[in-house]
Order: sequence, then C-alpha cells, then structure tokens
Amino acid sequence: MTGKKSYVALVVVGLLLGLMLSMQFRVTRENTANMSVERVRQLASEVEQTALKRDTLRDRIDELRKELDEIAALARHDRLRGELELVRMRAGLLPVTGPGIEVTLNDSALPLQPGQNPNWYILHDEDLLMVLNELKAAGAEAVAINGERLVSTSEVRCIGPAVLVNKTKRLSPPYVITAVGYSETMISALKMRGGVLDTLEYRNIQFSVKKLNKVVLPAYTGPTGWRYAQRVGEGVTH
Amino acid sequence: MKGMKHGSIVLVAIILGVLLALQFRVSSEPQPAVASGERARELTNELSELRKEKQSLALDVADLEERVMTARQGIGQAEAAIINEIEKHRVLAGLTDVAGPGVEIILQNVRRSEQPADAAVFSIRDEELVMLVNELRGAGAEAIAVNGQRIISTSEIRLAFPFINVNLIRISPPYTVSAIGDPEALRNMVELSGGLVEILRDWGIDVQVEVLDEVIVPAYQGTIRLEYTSLYKEGD
Repeated sequence: MTGKKSYVALVVVGLLLGLMLSMQFRVTRENTANMSVERVRQLASEVEQTALKRDTLRDRIDELRKELDEIAALARHDRLRGELELVRMRAGLLPVTGPGIEVTLNDSALPLQPGQNPNWYILHDEDLLMVLNELKAAGAEAVAINGERLVSTSEVRCIGPAVLVNKTKRLSPPYVITAVGYSETMISALKMRGGVLDTLEYRNIQFSVKKLNKVVLPAYTGPTGWRYAQRVGEGVTH
Repeated sequence: MKGMKHGSIVLVAIILGVLLALQFRVSSEPQPAVASGERARELTNELSELRKEKQSLALDVADLEERVMTARQGIGQAEAAIINEIEKHRVLAGLTDVAGPGVEIILQNVRRSEQPADAAVFSIRDEELVMLVNELRGAGAEAIAVNGQRIISTSEIRLAFPFINVNLIRISPPYTVSAIGDPEALRNMVELSGGLVEILRDWGIDVQVEVLDEVIVPAYQGTIRLEYTSLYKEGD
C-alpha cells in the first residue's frame, strides 16, 4: 500500500523536477534571444538617427547650392550660370524631366512547385542591371530606379532580400525603372526577340513597359566628394 | 534494492518531464534568434555605409560653405568659386581624366584542355563585365574605365556580336577594367570567396587582379547627350 503511494509521489516529484529543469534552461535561452532582439532594436534606432543627420546635411547642401546659384544668377555670371546648370544635369545632381518609359518588374507570382529552385523566380540585381544596360544601349539619357537617380558611381546590389542602390538606399519590389530618352528605341531594345524581357518572361518574372510623355527623375542626393580620384591633366577647360 | 527501484523511477519521470517541456516548447516558440542575427548584420552594414555617407556629405558642406563665402567677397571671387564648382561637377560627371590608387583587372579567355566542351559558352560576355563594374561600384569605386572607355551613368557594356561595345565603341579582349578607389576594398570585393572572379576563373577565364598606387582613368570621350532631357522645375 505505502509502496504504491510512494511510487506515485516519486513520479510526480520527478516529473516536476524535469519540467523545472527545462524551464530553467528555456529562460536562459530566451534571455539570449532577447539580447539579440535588443541589439537589433538599438541598431535600428542608430540607423534611423544617422539617416536623420544625413538628411540634415543633404538639406544644407541644397541650401548652399541655391546660395551659389543666386550669386551666379547675377547678370555678370550669366554664361557661368548656364554652364553650372548643364554640368549639374550631366552629373545627375538636378532633377530632370522628358519623354521616356517606365519599366516595372516584380518576382514571379506563380506558386512554387516542390523541387523548383525559388532563385529562378525572383528578381536579382543581375536582372535589373541587364534591363538598365539595355536602356543605356538604347540611348537612355537619365535613369532612376524606385526614385533613386543612377549616376556614374551607382551600384545595384542584392543584400539579403533587398536591393541596395547608391550605397545606402534600400529598395524592395516592385522595382520601377524610369528612363528619359526616345521611347520607341528603348522599348524595342527591351522587347527584342531573345532579349532581356524574353529571358525574364521565361522565368515568369512579372514586368510591364509603359511609354510616357513625361517622366520626372529626382536628383542624386549622395556625396559628391571623392577621396581617391584626383583630376589630372590640363587646367580649366570649358 | 528498493532504493535503486525508486531512483530509476525518479529518473524516468525526470526525463519524461524534460521531454514534455521540450514538446511544448517546439510547438509554441517561434525562433526569433536566427532571424535577428541576420537582421543585425544587415543593420550593421547599413549603419557603416550611412556613417561613411554622412562623413562625405559633411565634407561637401564644408566645401560649399567655403565656396559661398569666397563668392560673397566680390565679382572676381564669385567667378572663381563658380568655376571651381563647375570643375568639381565635371570630374563627377566623368568629363576629366582622373588618377589615383586602385585596381586593374585583366580578363582573358584561355583555351584549356579541361575547359568545358563549348568554349564559347564560357567565354567573357558583356554580362560579366557589367557585373564586375557593378561590384567595383559597390566597393566604392570613384571612376571606372573598361579598355580605356570611361564608364559614366549612361554607359552601356553590350554585346554587338562578335564584339562588345562600350559607349558605342568596339572593344576586344583582353579586357582591362581600371577602377580608382580604396584598393583593398576594391580587391576584396571582387576576390570574395565564391565571388565573380572565382567563378570566372572556374570557367577557365584568366583573371588577374592588380593593386596599383596609380591608376589612370581617362575622361569620357563623347558628348553627354541631353536631347530629350530638360531641367525639372517644381510646378512642371
């Protein structure tokens, strides 16, 4: 009699001990998880604050450029003012407009079949680069992606699930590429048989191409000072 | 005898308890720790790029402040300040020759016996050069040329069979990609394990990456077309 009762008691005590043991273990696990969540939270807020400070500097640059423009606007510097504007347009530092096209790209919408490689059906930096390259070959004069103006130093790179452009601008699909130029040439270059859109269609990547009478591309807002490249050769040329 | 029996019962019960708790945990707890590690890495990279950008922008501000100050001092100074600004932007647009430390990457198709049967399939194409230029830009390259053709914002690198055109000019192998920037950063980016250069080498393409104290990148030789483009003014 007493034997059976003590067995039951032992089983209960043992079960409880086991539960407590794993609870203990779990609490420490959760603590480390919380710490990495906390780390992400702190990093995110630091990113946000740095971006704010960056934006302040950017506004200040706009302000100073305007001040310089105002000085240049004096009649005496008329020729220089025109030249300054033209070179800024060429460098991508001013917003521009003109006729052109808009290409929208997105990952495949088809449900993935077991055994299929998901990589095949999502857009990569490589795809965006090939579309951009085709547009440039077809005479695009200015290009932007998701509102980020592309200049001579602009990269388009996959970082995890996002695409980074101009070092710090994180873009996500759908990707909208806008280009100023002769629409017909750009569209036929993209749609060429065996061309870049054919390849994307084969992978069920979603895309659409729109011809527009007017597209507006924003100015490049990143840094313009170089640390390594120095101008060489003759002095001032115009 | 009896003690041992009790002991083993307790042990079995403890194991049961642990298993019970584990069962419960598996079904109830999502695993945020894995994803947050990845996220932390992303954010750290983003933060470091943002800090670099902030630093460079601060330099831009200082530069412009000085220029505006000079420009206020008189007509002659104003003219000099504006010309300075024009020159800076000409450099940025790729309209001047530039020099500085960087890398030179030379790519050449090599026919080797162990190369895959169809050599043409694994030879260098426009795509590889586009990717390589993109990687260099990602690593902060300030000026890039391919076979002496300056790569600006509208430069294409495109197969016009059997040649590759850059800025509508035909180039032919070997391909030399010159880039000015932080030499170590540029080299590390392209020589990344599993990166582009390693893949090209596996395809039997000869790739040489040279770090140089001075790389010369020539100016863009054409005229930057602005036939369809005009300045956007607010309210347009």
